[in-house]
Amino acid sequence: MKTTKSWLLLLLAAAIAVLFLLPLVWMVSTSFKNDFEALAGGIQLFPKKPTVENYVMGLQGELMNVPITKWIANSLSVGAAGTVIVLLIDSMAAYGLARLPDMPLRRTMLSLFIASLMIPGVLTFLPMYMEFNALGLINTYPALILPATAGAFGVFLLYQFFASFPKEIEEAARIDGANKWQIYARVLLPSAVSILVTLGIFTFMGIYNDFVWPLYATTSPEMRTITAGIAIMATGSYTQSYGKLMAMTLIATLPVVLVFIGGQRYFVKAITQSAVK
Amino acid sequence: MRPSLLSRFTSFLFITPYLAAFCLFLLFPILYGIFISLHNFELLSTEHDFVGLRNYIDIFTPGTYTNSLFFRGLWATIQFVLFSVPLLIVTGLGLALLVNALPRKLRSLFRTVFFVPYALSASVMAVIWLMMFDTNAGFLNGLLAKLSLTGVPWLTDVPWAWVSLIVTTLWWTIGFNMIIFVNALNEVPDDYYEAASIDGAGAWHKFAHITLPSIRPVMLFVMITSTIASFNIYAQPFLLTRGGPGDTTKVLLMNVLDQAFIRKELGSASAMAILMALLIIIISIVQFKLTTGRKENAS
Repeated sequence: MKTTKSWLLLLLAAAIAVLFLLPLVWMVSTSFKNDFEALAGGIQLFPKKPTVENYVMGLQGELMNVPITKWIANSLSVGAAGTVIVLLIDSMAAYGLARLPDMPLRRTMLSLFIASLMIPGVLTFLPMYMEFNALGLINTYPALILPATAGAFGVFLLYQFFASFPKEIEEAARIDGANKWQIYARVLLPSAVSILVTLGIFTFMGIYNDFVWPLYATTSPEMRTITAGIAIMATGSYTQSYGKLMAMTLIATLPVVLVFIGGQRYFVKAITQSAVK
Repeated sequence: MRPSLLSRFTSFLFITPYLAAFCLFLLFPILYGIFISLHNFELLSTEHDFVGLRNYIDIFTPGTYTNSLFFRGLWATIQFVLFSVPLLIVTGLGLALLVNALPRKLRSLFRTVFFVPYALSASVMAVIWLMMFDTNAGFLNGLLAKLSLTGVPWLTDVPWAWVSLIVTTLWWTIGFNMIIFVNALNEVPDDYYEAASIDGAGAWHKFAHITLPSIRPVMLFVMITSTIASFNIYAQPFLLTRGGPGDTTKVLLMNVLDQAFIRKELGSASAMAILMALLIIIISIVQFKLTTGRKENAS
C-alpha cells in the first residue's frame, strides 16, 4: 500500500518533470533543424536531417546579420562588472550599517533603504531613461551597469548577516590593532562568502536576464545585450527561422543556467531566509 | 566617550559609494519622475510647460485618450493578476508538497528540474514559448494534429491568449515559489505531525491544521511577491500576444512604455507609471496588513 502510493507520486512527479523539460528539449531539437523542417510543424523530436548550420551561421553573424558574439560578450561584461560593483559597495554599506554605530544618520539611512525595497521598477524606469539621456550615457556600458547598483536587496541581505556576527571575534581583531577597513576586509568579508556568492549569482542573473531596460538603453546593434537582441529578433522577422532563433536562444541561456545550477546550493537557503524575515 | 570626528567620518566612508548609487539611480529618478509628470514633457522637445496635475486629471477624466489607455491597460493587468496569482500559489505549494513526498535522493533532482526555467531571461522564455504556441509550426498544434484534433489559435484568440500567458508564467516562475514552500515545509517541526498521528489525525487534517498555519508567513510572502510580479507583467504579452487579440492582453506596462516611447508623451506616461507604482505599493501594504491582522486574531 505504502509503496504503491509512493510509486504513483513518483510517476506524477516524472510526468510533470517531462512537461517542464519539454519546451527546453524542443528548443534544443529545433536548433538542430534546417529552416524547412523547423517550419514544417509536427512533433519530430529528433531532426530528420540534423544540422549545425544554425550555430555556425549564427556565431559568424552570417545571414542573421546580427553580431551574436558581440551581444553575448556585452551581456557577460556588464553582468560581471555590475556584480563586482554591487558586491563591493553593498558589503561596505552593510558592514557600516551593522557594525559601525558611530556612523552619522545610520538609523535614518537603514529605514530608507529598507523602505526602498518596496519601490516597483516602473516608478524609476522612465526618469532613469531621461537621466541617462541627459548625461549622454544612453547606448553606453554604464547605462547597462549602473541602474543595477542602486537596489537595497544586497545591503539588506548582508546587513542581516553582519548584524548577527559574533562581537567577540571583531573585538579580538580590534585588540590586535586592526582598524575598520582591516576588520571589514579580513574578518567580516571572509565570513560572508556564501552570502556573497548568493548575492553575486542573483545580481549577475538579474543584469544578464533583464531585457526591457537594455532594449531602451541601447540603440545601436553592437551595443545590444543578448536578451534585448533576442527580443528584437523575435519581434522582427526571425520567427520565420525558428532553427536559428533557437540556436541563439540556447547559446544565450547556457551561461546563466550553468551559474544557476552550479550556485543552487548557495542561494536556495538564502531565498527562504529573506522570505521569513 | 563620544566617538571622534575622524572615526565618524571613516564610518561614513563605508556607506558613501552605495549611498551615491542609491541617490543617483533610485532617489533622484523617483523625484525626477514626479517632476516630469507635472509637465507637458515631449520626449524630443526641449521646452516643457508646467501643467500641474493636468496629466493626472486627464487620466481620471472619462473620454480622454490617457483615460482609456490607463484603465484598459489596468483592466488587462488585473485580469492577469486574478488568473495567475491563485495558480502561482496553489501549484507552487502543490509542487513543493509533491517534491517533499518523494524519496530523499530524488528530491534535489526534481527540485532543480522545476526550478530551472526561473533562470531564463524573460525574452528567452517568451521566444521558447513562441515556438511552442506557433499556430502552424508550433509543438502544441503539432501534437493536436497527431491526435487528429484541430489546432488552437494560442496567441491570437481569447480565451487562448490568456491561457498561453498564464501557462508561460507558471512554467517560468513557479519554481521560485516552490523553493520557498519546500523550505517552509521543512521548517515545520516533526513533533507536530507525530503528536497529530498519535491523536489519529488523517493526512488532510494534518495539512489543514498543522501545515497551513505553520507556513502562513511564507504564504503571505509568496502572495505579495506573486501579486507584484504579476502586476509588472510585460514580457509575455509584449513578445507572445503583442497585446492581442485587439487590445485584450495589452497590459498597463505596455501602454506606459508605448505612451513614452512611441507617442513620446513622457509627462502623461510618467503620471501613469506613478499611479501604477502607487497601486502596487498600496496592494502590498493591504495584503501585509490583512494577513498579519488575521494572525494576531488567531493567536
